[in-house]
Amino acid sequence: MKAGLEIHQQLATHKLFCPCPSELSEEVRGTVRRRLRATEGEEHALDPAAAFESSLGLSFVYEVVPTSCLVDLDEEPPHALNSEALDVALTVAFLLHATPLDEILVMRKLVVDGSNTAGFQRTALVAVDGWVEVDGHRVSVETICLEEDAARKVAETGGEVRYRLDRLGIPLVEVATGPDLRSPEEVQKVAQTIGALLRSTRRVRRGIGTIREDVNLSIEGGTRIEIKGVQELRLLPTYAQQEIGRQEMLLHVKEELHHRGATHPPGSVIDVSDLLRDAGDGPVASALKREGSVLAVALPGFHGLLGSSGEGAPRFGRELADYARTTGVRGLLHSDELPAQGLDSSHVDKVRSRLSLGAKDAFVLVAHPDPAKARTALDQVLHRAALALTGVPPETRDPLPDGTSRYSRPLPGRDRMYPETDVPPVRPTQEHLTRLRERLPESPDTSRRRLREQYSIEPDIASWLLQEGEADRFEALVGRGHPVPLVLRLLTHDLPAFVAVPRAEPTAEPSEAVLDAILNALAEGRFAKEGVVPVLEGVLVLGRSVDEAARSAGLSPFSRAELEALVEAVLDRNEPLWRSRREAALSPLMGDVMREVRGRRDGKEVAELLRVALTRRLGTPGPPS
Amino acid sequence: MSEPTVDPRKKIRELPIGTEIELTPPDGRTWHGIIVPATEFSGSEIVVLKLASGYNVGLEVTEKDVLTVIAKPKRTRTARPASPESAPAAVPQGPWVALLTTGGTIASRVDYHTGGVKPVRDEKEILSAFPALDAGGPVRVLPVFERFSEDIVPADWVELAGHVVEAFRQGARGVVIAHGTDTLGFTAAALSFMIRNPPGPIVLVGAQRSPDRPSSDGFTNLPAAIQVARSGDLGEVVVVMHDGVSDDRLAIHRGTWVRKMHSSRRDAFESRNAPPLGYVVGGRVQLGAEARRPSSAPLRAETHLDERAVLVTYYPGLSPVRLRRLVRAERGLVIAGTGLGHVSRAHLRGLKRLIERGLVVGMTTQCLEGGTDPYVYATGRDLLRAGVVYLDDLLPETAYAKMLWALGQSDDPAKVRTLLLEDQVGEFVTRRQLEGGP
Repeated sequence: MKAGLEIHQQLATHKLFCPCPSELSEEVRGTVRRRLRATEGEEHALDPAAAFESSLGLSFVYEVVPTSCLVDLDEEPPHALNSEALDVALTVAFLLHATPLDEILVMRKLVVDGSNTAGFQRTALVAVDGWVEVDGHRVSVETICLEEDAARKVAETGGEVRYRLDRLGIPLVEVATGPDLRSPEEVQKVAQTIGALLRSTRRVRRGIGTIREDVNLSIEGGTRIEIKGVQELRLLPTYAQQEIGRQEMLLHVKEELHHRGATHPPGSVIDVSDLLRDAGDGPVASALKREGSVLAVALPGFHGLLGSSGEGAPRFGRELADYARTTGVRGLLHSDELPAQGLDSSHVDKVRSRLSLGAKDAFVLVAHPDPAKARTALDQVLHRAALALTGVPPETRDPLPDGTSRYSRPLPGRDRMYPETDVPPVRPTQEHLTRLRERLPESPDTSRRRLREQYSIEPDIASWLLQEGEADRFEALVGRGHPVPLVLRLLTHDLPAFVAVPRAEPTAEPSEAVLDAILNALAEGRFAKEGVVPVLEGVLVLGRSVDEAARSAGLSPFSRAELEALVEAVLDRNEPLWRSRREAALSPLMGDVMREVRGRRDGKEVAELLRVALTRRLGTPGPPS
Repeated sequence: MSEPTVDPRKKIRELPIGTEIELTPPDGRTWHGIIVPATEFSGSEIVVLKLASGYNVGLEVTEKDVLTVIAKPKRTRTARPASPESAPAAVPQGPWVALLTTGGTIASRVDYHTGGVKPVRDEKEILSAFPALDAGGPVRVLPVFERFSEDIVPADWVELAGHVVEAFRQGARGVVIAHGTDTLGFTAAALSFMIRNPPGPIVLVGAQRSPDRPSSDGFTNLPAAIQVARSGDLGEVVVVMHDGVSDDRLAIHRGTWVRKMHSSRRDAFESRNAPPLGYVVGGRVQLGAEARRPSSAPLRAETHLDERAVLVTYYPGLSPVRLRRLVRAERGLVIAGTGLGHVSRAHLRGLKRLIERGLVVGMTTQCLEGGTDPYVYATGRDLLRAGVVYLDDLLPETAYAKMLWALGQSDDPAKVRTLLLEDQVGEFVTRRQLEGGP
């Protein structure tokens, strides 16, 4: 296999062509309805991807959020390119040893699937010819681009796609490697390495969906396929593996078709509704009940090739269904999976005879209340079936949560790019570039080494801090005099635990000042480390001060004397227990004490006190039994 | 083919757009691409190449670069020559609509090789950009001129009016005029006064987004305008544009009531003082009771305009001396006054004298919404006594167009004043209601 990666990282600056904040929102203020039309590029040619999307005739609904402005809605020309975002992109370019362009020109990349209100995504090539080293293998970085993120798809129902505008326009740095990756595992490693490098700029957004990868992959005899928008890094090798399997399947289908002497499917669409009136429950019956039609096409030579060679293996039938679904139908039925879905073998025979099929031929049915929809869907099926003779058609595919992918649209070509005339070009000065180059952030490798040595922490803890972008905060808090283990516990344990609890949205960020105040309170013994999570809750969600939060969480100070008294009382209460189980009673006794002091006194301190008290009592004889 | 003796900076300037080249700077990388026009804002030493990926890159060519020509420009498909003679237009069957183009955003296409915007010239070209435009019947395209709308002058209105009248005389069901949006409101008002008793709709239409963008509002505006023109159920000049920022509802505005109220939004055009005459929703034309139906009276062209008039917005620093300089050679003056139609009392004497010498002065309000009224304040009463004509709720632009038309009808200032005050084509709203209820 041969693979390359495109990594898209959202930047933590305002949007790329307007001053709106780069934030997602759940508050929808209204909707706007639009249509898009494919337009010609500079060479007066229609881009295949754009023509395809335009042909679907979809209508788009955009959800307007409080941070949306007229630029997002394509109601106002874009403002100048965000210079802060450009600086981050240039910084990334230098970290990747790439060369910035003399003049940066913003282009329009036609995308008429509705994800951009304008019908194009604005993108600029910033730098070229970089490299990154992973496990001793130098992987080329061909381009570094700065582009705007697309709107977020929130729903899709027959013929209408709904997007939210919050994500549209968030700056993305796109790092594209050459086709140098040799294994699914290497794909993941390179993604990790470049991801860490992007985070080292400290100017990137964090969280789910803020970094997305496109995998470009081909196998020997196959074609470059783009799997677009993988959000789960750990699934990258799976997507690569599945795509290898899919291309192998397609090459097998091609070979078999040639072997059978199959040619281009004839392409006539035939109405078979009258043959299937008595179909049992299923898509056919339900379409006919709604006065729809069942249309069929013949696929000569495809018999037995549509189904699967084994459980979970890629099936060509699914390729056909994926193409059909792009037109808004829910699916199709093919002869390799029939009888099923309310059709019995007599139905199958009738359809076969109506289509005059031979033993090696297959057919596909689409049932839909709207015959025109069914016809468009079958046109796509025929188109895809014809492509089977060529092997692997170039495609853009959507990643699915199960590690497979689904056809999305044809692979776009260069005709989709034309100049964005509304935005002036940017020419960074030599002085500016020099200044950026002199202020490059420490590389992830250097940071890891330095953290380990300077703070004597484990290598994987250092990696974790860098991976999660917590290294700065760690160093700042330690710099304020807090002990390393306490700060680490707070960052690696308490904060993730706080974040993991489902609750109302926090109203404040866990800022350095907040964490500093909590660590101070801990140091002064106002509560114990077990109380950190409830205190975070009180401070960040309910807006309380650290002390108020501790008090309302029942973490009022518990003095050493009170603790000593409590220990004695618990021992008094449980004399039979420790008399019979001796030292083994320590653990249940500990539970009794901690129930009352959790979060107010340190567990280690309690255990020590209890152990001493118990040893003392065990040393004195009990009452005669 | 490289010629190291020639300075590559000079040589590259001499290569035509579209030449495929390789450019190698001394420090390594070879750039391979096609020369495309640099943007107007590119540095002068920058050459723009289109790479195979589709990206354009701006490169600074230096003396030490090695420049190699790979291929001469491929001949690009240029616009078909407009030759109505060589391809005689078939006589359209059934009711046809005339589409007059004037060179605005809507009926033009970007030429990326020259960077310029070219108007669409014939049916074929417009139908390739707008398929199904002639689904309801033939559309005859007539390019009238090629101007950005800010370059349009009153003489162009006269030329346009002539073409509109001619189209109706040849049997057009309706006429659509594709026009730049900046001064579309002026043209709509002027045509309203010049073309009397139109037998069908005269529809002006524009686009706020150019058709090189997939999101262009032209893709919905133009078909809707054609539809309104074809419906034939209107006998006046209207403007059809987006009613909101969504693509599913368009408004039909009276030509004398409409004004561009936003520099960039799709729904920039609004009827002032009254709701639109109708809408196009879901492909259907809905007309309200106010819309004027086609006239059975004979079509008349009153295209004589006298351009000796100015439109002035009153502002606190506009002194009588400045105003007098402005109107020295004019027959008419339209003032967009403050509030109910005022200018400083310092102007009273000067205006009175100018009016006595034959200047016709019309008063409108710069508030745009609401009417003028001379009776509420003393200033208004004095201006009225001085001979200022209060034009109720006419938009300043509409009043200016009406002034040119009225001056063209008569040399007598008294007659001009009368024409200005008379309702000519339904231009006064007069009855202004609370929009959308209290």
